[in-house]
Amino acid sequence: MRGAVRMAKYNVVIIGGGITGVALAYMLAKRGVERVLVLERNYLGSGSSFKCAGGIRASFSSEEHVKLMLRSIELWHELSKQLGFYYEQSGYVWLLSTEEEFKHYRELARFHNTLGLTTRVINGERVSDLVPTISAEGLVGALFDPLAGKASPFETLYSLYLAAKKLGAEFWTGCGAEKILIDDGHVVGVKTGRGPIYCDAVVVAAGSETRRLLMGVGVDVPLEPVPRHALITEAYSEVFKPLVVDASEGAYAVQVKEGNFLLGADIEERKGAPLTVRADFPALVLKVWSRWFPWLLYTGILRYWSGYYVVTPDRHPVLGPVNKVEGIYVAAGFSGHGFMMAPVVAEELTNWIVKGKPQNTYACRLVLSRFAEGKLLSEKAVIG
Amino acid sequence: MGRLEAYVCRCEKVRIEDVKRAVEEGFRDLESLKRRLRIGMGPCQGRYCIPLLISILKRLGVEIDASKQPRIRPPLMPLPAYLLASHNEGCSEDGEV
Repeated sequence: MRGAVRMAKYNVVIIGGGITGVALAYMLAKRGVERVLVLERNYLGSGSSFKCAGGIRASFSSEEHVKLMLRSIELWHELSKQLGFYYEQSGYVWLLSTEEEFKHYRELARFHNTLGLTTRVINGERVSDLVPTISAEGLVGALFDPLAGKASPFETLYSLYLAAKKLGAEFWTGCGAEKILIDDGHVVGVKTGRGPIYCDAVVVAAGSETRRLLMGVGVDVPLEPVPRHALITEAYSEVFKPLVVDASEGAYAVQVKEGNFLLGADIEERKGAPLTVRADFPALVLKVWSRWFPWLLYTGILRYWSGYYVVTPDRHPVLGPVNKVEGIYVAAGFSGHGFMMAPVVAEELTNWIVKGKPQNTYACRLVLSRFAEGKLLSEKAVIG
Repeated sequence: MGRLEAYVCRCEKVRIEDVKRAVEEGFRDLESLKRRLRIGMGPCQGRYCIPLLISILKRLGVEIDASKQPRIRPPLMPLPAYLLASHNEGCSEDGEV
């Protein structure tokens, strides 16, 4: 049996069983690609996917992000219907505390509107219609993104996993990739804890491990893991539906499917620092959010954890072939947006692998060579 | 009389049948079973249900590494938010709360 494992040849090996890798396995299998294998060193979703808040939006500040996310949202609809997992288009509300912010976000809404995204600014008094129980004192207004929404990271990933498995994709958990094997400028396989696996294409969707793996074949992807923190309350009956953002604090609050309030806030962290929990984070995030929801202080705090935003210099992911080595593709550096982008990323990587190029030209702008060519993008709307 | 149902996890109302189904679906480690079934994600944080889950898996003949328990997250049991919110204000310099 061990010999059989060694000899097995795959068309595509995906390194990383997070939402990106699992969604890609599903899309590849659905497109008729056989012999697809996902390698996950720990358990599925154990990297950043299961640490995330589950927000989904197209209200970014770059054309690339907006356009790709508009397609991703179409796919969120389709996939949730096909596979029957929870997804709610319940909107995002960005709370704006100063006139300056309000003006800035009014401009941002105009920019969104030119790209076909129907965001709009609303006055302070109107916010409580969208976000019941909010204490609107000091609120100048808000940006409302009706197209945005939320999903459950667990339910989504597991639905895609079960569907991919049914279509023939294979998953090895507890089996990490040690090294990508190349020969004469072409990928030939992956060295794993269970021996080498041979394949025609490798997709590295390994979050914070991506840089190390690609460094092994002489490809440098500028990725840095930055710890981010979040906590969740006990479950309560529904209070508000949209994901709420405090624009000036870089903080978010969302009531998840089961009724718990999931809260995050920006807190200073060093790039590359280990994942820890800090006594000052709950105090900070509760200070930000109890200003808007004073009743939050009377909820029960259930769990607190941290996870990585794997960030790139321009806060956009790195997608597609790596050029230097034939047959290696990358999908990493989502800078906090990997969950929401997974459907479109899986779709376009499938196109890259099957047809040689993506169908959405905006995906082409996210290739690795942009860093060497100085074609960096710009994104300011990163939360948490 | 109605049918009696035995819960493995009382907080999230997970039954033995749910565990069997998840195992059949291919979920064989505690971290994944926790997230698939929500076992241990309620107020008890797995204090009662995870040991029960381990013994049920054993009985079902599922080989698991019981030393790989789900990661324990603070604050271990639900705490009123106001206690955590006062971290900065509540502590004086000499450490008195």
